[in-house]
Amino acid sequence: MKRKTRTLIQDSVASTVAIFLGVILVFPLIYCVCGAFKTPHEFLTPTLLPGSFSYLGNFEEALEKGNLLRYTANSFIIALVGTTVRLIFSILAAYAFAYYDFRFKNLCFFLILGTMMIPADVLLATNYLTVSKLRLLNSYLGVMIVSFVSAAQMFMLRQRFKSVPKDMREAAQIDGYGDISYMINVLLPISKPVLTTLFVQSFITLWNAYLWPLIVTASSPHMRTIMVGITKLNSWEDENYQLVLAGVCISLIPSLVLFILMRRNMKKGGIDGALVG
Amino acid sequence: MKTGTTLQHRRRAKTRKKVFLLLLPIMLFGIVFVYYPFIRTIVNSFSLVNAKGIIKGFAGLDNWAYTFGRKDFVLALKHTLTIAAVNVPITIIITISLALLANKKRKMSPLYEFLFTLPMAVSMSAACMIFKSMFSPSVGFINYFFGLNLGWYESKDTALAAILILTIWMGIGFNFLLMLSALRAIPEQIIEATKVDGISPLRRIFRVQLPLISPTIFFVLCTNLVLAMMTSAPVIIIMGVSSASSATNTLMSMMYQSGFSSSDYGLAAVLSITTFILTLGFTIMSFVFEKRKVHYQ
Repeated sequence: MKRKTRTLIQDSVASTVAIFLGVILVFPLIYCVCGAFKTPHEFLTPTLLPGSFSYLGNFEEALEKGNLLRYTANSFIIALVGTTVRLIFSILAAYAFAYYDFRFKNLCFFLILGTMMIPADVLLATNYLTVSKLRLLNSYLGVMIVSFVSAAQMFMLRQRFKSVPKDMREAAQIDGYGDISYMINVLLPISKPVLTTLFVQSFITLWNAYLWPLIVTASSPHMRTIMVGITKLNSWEDENYQLVLAGVCISLIPSLVLFILMRRNMKKGGIDGALVG
Repeated sequence: MKTGTTLQHRRRAKTRKKVFLLLLPIMLFGIVFVYYPFIRTIVNSFSLVNAKGIIKGFAGLDNWAYTFGRKDFVLALKHTLTIAAVNVPITIIITISLALLANKKRKMSPLYEFLFTLPMAVSMSAACMIFKSMFSPSVGFINYFFGLNLGWYESKDTALAAILILTIWMGIGFNFLLMLSALRAIPEQIIEATKVDGISPLRRIFRVQLPLISPTIFFVLCTNLVLAMMTSAPVIIIMGVSSASSATNTLMSMMYQSGFSSSDYGLAAVLSITTFILTLGFTIMSFVFEKRKVHYQ
């Protein structure tokens, strides 16, 4: 009994400390939401809370003047199409590695995995020149084209496909399924949890990308993504922080929603899938 | 017999064609957007490259000598190494401490686990804008709350520290999650055994739990090292062209400026390759260290 009360006290102390630290950790987000509701005048006094949470002027101005509506649409198209293409490429390659034996199989496999060893930032300048030579600057394709290859995703899918019993494919072949119909009707439906995780992660990664979209869309402001857009809402001369914070809030909504969904998914299926970028 | 081999032959040809088509997209894009630019960047670093990125001749080590002789290169190198040397150990210490605190499952666990991991969902540019506002010397909350009078991102003395606070914050969520799942994967019996033996909690942490999660610590070390060496976005977004920007320039932000502001692709290539080699060197060093210190079960 005595021991039980001691653990109870220990646990509540630990919980309190943990929650306190947690609030400090997410404080920048709390600050951001509060700041977004401040009027420009209120923002001049650096208190945390706004007068009320009913002032929506910053959001309106960010969406209209800052053109964030357009940028949000740009980001959605880029993240959605980019993620889809990336997944399709990975599925096709993973299928070949899981089901076929061929010459140079290992070489091809390591050539694809080797792309993970080279950080994308190092390639920035040269890829920019390639994309400009292909006349893809300031286009959606130009922004997403460098993210079509994801060795990590290909690898995860290969592992998943390999764990599917071979009999399944043989049975499907006897039923007259070719490779594509087997893939669409059998393999992908049973791999749905992995596919969902990969899709969500990929979407967040592409949605959050900054440096590449910035340089590819540099000369055409209406092609910017939202992550580039929010950094253009202020300058050293004109700080406008309340506007910036409203823009940041808007940009965070999709990734926060997906993040919460992913956390729930991860609790169900372990965190194996969480390591892929 | 003869028809059998032709059939087999034909089937093999068909397989080859299928495999080719399946691998074509990823291989094509991998070669065009990863391997080609990588080799081209190495070649550029030894070439005379004009402002349109076209090679105009062999330059030997001229680009390298020019870059290494620049004062701002030495500074950028110093800043990059400082960021890596400060960021990595602090991130590891913070995330291990939080994971140890959150390890035991309690009633409130879901709440603080959620809070600890939430920064994961925030993008670099969003975080930059929030921190820039929060640390603003005039209207920022930090100076007001702590009664400070610091310039943070706007002063040469504090800019690098402020950048470090931001990059460390960005890394906490994901790495905490890794540490936590590693700690929770330690078999219950081992912890119970230490309790039966009457080993103090502190000793248990340093002698049992940390050695057992050392592979994860090693993974966090390597990935964060690479990320820290590549730091550029905070410098580009927050510092921009402000007067304090020279106090935070990193190799990668200098690469960005030389490539996209001054179209000096030779300089940009040297900076890229230098960063790559340094990062690779550190990673190899960590693997040597890993052999001696990391325990795999």
